[in-house]
Amino acid sequence: MATNHDILYIKCDRNVEITKRTVTLGDIAVMESGNKTLLSKLKTMTLFKISEDKKQRYVISVLKIIECIHEKYPNLEVQSLGEPDMIVTYESKKTPPKWFHIIKAGFVTIVIFFGAAFSMMAFNNDVDITNLFDQIYIAVTGEEAKGFTMLELTYSIGVAVGSIGFFNHFGKRRFTVDPTPIEIEMRLYENDIQTTLIEAASRKGEELDVGKATPTSNHRT
Amino acid sequence: MLAKQLLLAIIGLSAGTIAAGGLFAFVVELGVISDFADRTHTADKVLLYEDSTMLGGIIGNLLFCYQIPLPFGTWILPWIGALWGIFVGCWAMALAEVLNVFPVFMRRIRIVKYLGIFVIATAIGKGVGACIFFLKGW
Repeated sequence: MATNHDILYIKCDRNVEITKRTVTLGDIAVMESGNKTLLSKLKTMTLFKISEDKKQRYVISVLKIIECIHEKYPNLEVQSLGEPDMIVTYESKKTPPKWFHIIKAGFVTIVIFFGAAFSMMAFNNDVDITNLFDQIYIAVTGEEAKGFTMLELTYSIGVAVGSIGFFNHFGKRRFTVDPTPIEIEMRLYENDIQTTLIEAASRKGEELDVGKATPTSNHRT
Repeated sequence: MLAKQLLLAIIGLSAGTIAAGGLFAFVVELGVISDFADRTHTADKVLLYEDSTMLGGIIGNLLFCYQIPLPFGTWILPWIGALWGIFVGCWAMALAEVLNVFPVFMRRIRIVKYLGIFVIATAIGKGVGACIFFLKGW
């Protein structure tokens, strides 16, 4: 049993996905304590049960979790080192079929490929690059350009160099250890979504916090 | 003559590098591609999407600069047109999103509901606008 000197360190992730309807403490938080027997008991402690078997989302405050722990172990000191609020998403079916995933990824790849090609052409057209190249050619050599010149060739090479340089990899080969621009953008986008979900839930009073009833069903927004 | 060609080569190379960097920074920072990846839950394929962007840019530029004719024109064109439309539509909306057009107007006129209707209205408006543009031959 917990004595007065036991300290439990608890670290919650901001975004947790679960597939079981009984949510235990170990599912949504990482914990550490000097008292190992207590630790294994806490890991399997049930926090709440999900009533309906459909995709839904809860926003839980870490205070609620500490409250649940204190109900059983009133003297335990709990220190939270992770996020103050977390999003728990319940989805009974974890992964959709593999082929569906591949089809979606393939479709997105094709849209992006043609979209990028279109943007490049639209950009070239917008700045009237053909005319500009002729003007530069005359400025440099003093002659009219006949057919394709050095400019088109090196511009095309430059576009390849610039895009590979910008994205910092080609295929699976990375040129530096930094994450790529879209990986960063992706992460920022996910952070924005999580912040929005947490703030929206807390504004509507749907967050599971201390001094509130246990969840019924907050539908996924 | 060689010096002039060399100068042209340097100008071309630099122009291409910077133009590609700028254009892709614009596409990526607007979050069009990360939006696609998020909507379809295929964030694990982000590297593939980046490769696709690069190849699209490189090949599109080659087609433009060297006026390369494409095979099966009439068959392939409607499909490519639809793909371009999807991409440009998302791009236009992403631009509106990044510039906070919706939040600003929602705050100004103090409406908090019906965001969905506004978005659909914008989408239909853009579609109708594109149709009128092409029908009138502007």
